[in-house]
Amino acid sequence: MKLLIVEDDRSLSRSINDYLKIEGHICEVALTFYDAVNKATVNKYDCIILDIGLPDGNGLDLIREMKSNKLAGGILILSAKSSLEDKLTGLKIGADDYLTKPFHFAELSARINSICRRNNFLGLNEITFNEIRINTDDNQVFVNDKLLILTKKEYDLLLFFMANRNRIITKESIVEHLWGDNVILTDSFDFVYTHVKNLRKKIVASEGRNYIKCIYGFGYKFIES
Amino acid sequence: MKLLTKSTFYFLLLSFIAMVAGGALLYLTIKKVIYKQIDNSLITEKTIIEDQIKQTDTIPDFEGAFGHQIEVKLLNYHVRNYQSIKDTDIYDSKTDSFIPYRFIFSSGNTYEKKGFVITIFQGISEKNELLQDISLYMFFLFFSLLLISILINYLIARRLWSPFYNSVRIAGRFDIQSDKPLDLPYTDIKEFRQLNMVFDNMTHKMRNDYLNLKEFNENAAHEIQTPLAVIRSKTDLLMQQKKLNKESISLIKSINEATTKLFKLNQGLLLISKIENQIFHEKKMISLKQITEYGLDNYKEIMQLKKIKVEIDAVDEAYVEMNETLAEVLISNLLSNAVRFNVDSGFINCRIDNMFLIFTNSGLPLTIDPEMLFKRFHKASDNPHSVGLGLSIVKKITDTYGMHIEYSCRNNIHEIKLQYRH
Repeated sequence: MKLLIVEDDRSLSRSINDYLKIEGHICEVALTFYDAVNKATVNKYDCIILDIGLPDGNGLDLIREMKSNKLAGGILILSAKSSLEDKLTGLKIGADDYLTKPFHFAELSARINSICRRNNFLGLNEITFNEIRINTDDNQVFVNDKLLILTKKEYDLLLFFMANRNRIITKESIVEHLWGDNVILTDSFDFVYTHVKNLRKKIVASEGRNYIKCIYGFGYKFIES
Repeated sequence: MKLLTKSTFYFLLLSFIAMVAGGALLYLTIKKVIYKQIDNSLITEKTIIEDQIKQTDTIPDFEGAFGHQIEVKLLNYHVRNYQSIKDTDIYDSKTDSFIPYRFIFSSGNTYEKKGFVITIFQGISEKNELLQDISLYMFFLFFSLLLISILINYLIARRLWSPFYNSVRIAGRFDIQSDKPLDLPYTDIKEFRQLNMVFDNMTHKMRNDYLNLKEFNENAAHEIQTPLAVIRSKTDLLMQQKKLNKESISLIKSINEATTKLFKLNQGLLLISKIENQIFHEKKMISLKQITEYGLDNYKEIMQLKKIKVEIDAVDEAYVEMNETLAEVLISNLLSNAVRFNVDSGFINCRIDNMFLIFTNSGLPLTIDPEMLFKRFHKASDNPHSVGLGLSIVKKITDTYGMHIEYSCRNNIHEIKLQYRH
């Protein structure tokens, strides 16, 4: 997928760029509002990752610009301010999602995947991975074409793994993804462990392979082979 | 004791003493004057009678002459010259009572060396009545004078002190978070003007300090977010590297944990400062039952794992007008505590009626002072990941809406009682 990263902090934009490139996306970086408007109006991006606090302009104006020019593509707002108003305004004028700094790359990746899935409605409501098939419209999971009954958290966890295949996912990012970042549930790593264990057990019980590998000290990795 | 009461009390005490002393002095003086008058008239009468006896050697006919009882006796022998004036009571058979009299007793000799004795009685009950009347009038006069002066004193004092009380009342309502000036009324009393100036300067400085501190906190919290995001992203990238040795893994793990903690801390402090700044001012009617059920749902799997039994007993009409996000944070933080500090096979009981929201849960004994529970950074758990802001956020939210929250614990059953309506 083709992505535009609008972020004035060089170090952060480079990291996002590096990470998303490994994921297989084609990325471009804009460090200023001016640069971002130029790139967004000339090229077509699947998704724009937008920091709204730019030194030479407000990122929200870029969203307005894009929407008035009927430019397609998803928009994910990144902001240091987790102010509710910015969030509501951003979503109201056409952004698809909102992520507060600091975020986990796993979360960013999951959000981008989800935006792209929603925007490209050409049969992409299905994620297929070897014997696992997920229908994101009905929230149903099939393993070897057999319906797999998962709890809501297990389902979210599987999608999260799918969006971050072959990458290490920290336990912290799983907690934030499953319970939201308003929840201060810091000693819930045991619960993450149990959820992962149950998910793995259910997939294996339906004769699926065990893809979830525990990485010592960090968390988990969903590996293809 | 109020200043006014105290000053009135002292005034009353002193004027009372002064008036009693003055009254007594006046009474004695008047009495003396009256008696002197009586005595003088008795002496005058006696002298007239004496002169007549001396001249005529007979007892003159005095019956009724002065309207007094006069007794004169002639003696055939010589007596000593003597005179005394005294009080006496004489029994009156008509009224069956003793009537007070003043009498003069005098003895002397005529030119022929014959003695005589003169006794003149004068009734003084009338004079006594007069004295009593005067005393009574005096008492009333003094008393009303006292009352009037107390009243005047009170009114003056109240008027004089009213700018002071006004200032105290206004200063008492001072709210450091509101940007309204103190607005103390002008007074023509110099001392109070000085006091008002001190109040004004002090609150101004306090507010400035507070705003500076708040601004610093907000800026710090905001500005930390981006560097924190950089650290987190670099750590994420570092983690994905292949062929990390055990030592690197352990280092990255520590960095990651510290970053997460810093993030949580910053997030909590930001939330508190946002509540203080009333960013969450949009209100709507929130169903406590619904929001609690939603909150419980978020922890459903965890509670199943811990085998925690949940009971919810809520009335449908338990609504509260508040910000939706804050309501969610409030309930979610309370429930998260009830889950986190619960024991295996424990229970959580949620009762919501028209006035109270009560969460009870089983758990381990509390290791810190319950008084400190709602304070920042007082952790009940020794968990290194916990930052100790959850309940202070809860307290901030309940304070914002004027709700009352209290914690109690009996036999390891913990109870949080929230009074959401008055």
